[in-house]
Amino acid sequence: MLAWLFVPVVVKTFTRASFFELTAPVDATASHARDLQEFWSLRGHSKSELIEAGRDLARLNASYSLSVQQNAELRAQITRLESLLRMPAYANYRAEPARVARRDFSGWWQRMTIRKGSNYGIVVGAPVVFTGGAVGRVVEVHAYTSVVDLISSPRLRIAGVVEGDDRPISFQGGENRTFGPARGVLEFVPLDIFADARNPKRLVTSGYGGVFPPGLFIGTIVKVEPSPDGLFKTGEIELDPNLSMLHEVTVLVPLDRD
Amino acid sequence: MRRALTLFITQFLLWAVVSQVNHSLAGRHVYLWVGGLFVTYGALSLSLRSGLLSSFLAGLLLDAVSPVAFGMHALLFAAAHALVFHVRDRVPRDETAGRVVIALFANLTLFLVFSVFLIDDAPTPAAAWPRLIFDLVCSQVFLALIAPWFMALQARTVELSDALAVVYVRRFR
Repeated sequence: MLAWLFVPVVVKTFTRASFFELTAPVDATASHARDLQEFWSLRGHSKSELIEAGRDLARLNASYSLSVQQNAELRAQITRLESLLRMPAYANYRAEPARVARRDFSGWWQRMTIRKGSNYGIVVGAPVVFTGGAVGRVVEVHAYTSVVDLISSPRLRIAGVVEGDDRPISFQGGENRTFGPARGVLEFVPLDIFADARNPKRLVTSGYGGVFPPGLFIGTIVKVEPSPDGLFKTGEIELDPNLSMLHEVTVLVPLDRD
Repeated sequence: MRRALTLFITQFLLWAVVSQVNHSLAGRHVYLWVGGLFVTYGALSLSLRSGLLSSFLAGLLLDAVSPVAFGMHALLFAAAHALVFHVRDRVPRDETAGRVVIALFANLTLFLVFSVFLIDDAPTPAAAWPRLIFDLVCSQVFLALIAPWFMALQARTVELSDALAVVYVRRFR
């Protein structure tokens, strides 16, 4: 047993990668089987249900196409302002959607395995998002799968800002109660920020760390109180309950690394 | 070596089943951990060398899919294996109920040791314990339910492997 401590790091890294790749087909197969199960359950829907769903989708498409036009105008404005003010441009990302193969949410860590890896150009450190905001960060990239550390994991810290404010606040996940939404803790909250369960505030990514683009929703601040040193406040934040039931996420692959 | 690898196949199956159950339970924020079950049968029924190797390999498998120092599960499993092997002549190891109780004790000990090592990562360690204790209770119940099936599967797989080895020796040597 003691001999293991003296095994070279190269050997350990190779062994770890080998064992992980041994498990990857199990995750991928189970994930494909779930997709197939979903497909057949959807096939059981009646035609009238499909027509209703198609009508709803058409409405959504109409509103999204309007948003796309507005988005293009806003992007053009941003580019113009950046060139006028000589500001550094925000990093550009390529959106890579990926299915969730396995969720691994324990009291010790919160991770998920997605079904895309280095075969789709995913890189370590890439931010992962979903429709409700930030999901986490890619921490391991393998041949056909990647591992994402969730924002609810105690191992992940993010610099966030209260929506409408520009002072950074430190966010760390970690309070994952049973049968309830995950919670995180806040540090270095400015003294003039007040929030409670009745008057919550939204915390979004600041973009300062260089990993997450600014403005992504992290969670709702439900409690702040003065820290023991009196210089700042500490607080609690409730994360999106959908974070623990994700089926598909989007990896933002930085373009400058491509 | 052959028995150790045979046992590892069943442990791999156990990991696959438990990881899929955990995937389904993720929405409820419940996590099952059955580390004790990876160790018990090998420690109670096999020779020290074969059993220790299978426990170590199972530990490496869990290490590869967990964000811990590579070798942490493996060393803890090896230590638990050595401990159970040391006391196996003093416990009713031929009865299923006795084996299940040993698996429960091994799981409880490993879970607590593991938690003590990892609890420092949490921003408020005291707040993490209620979740961990709930997970532990669920894990123990789950382990008690599946242990008889899994140990029977391991016993049958080892028997099958022995029988195939005998046939191979008779035919080809």
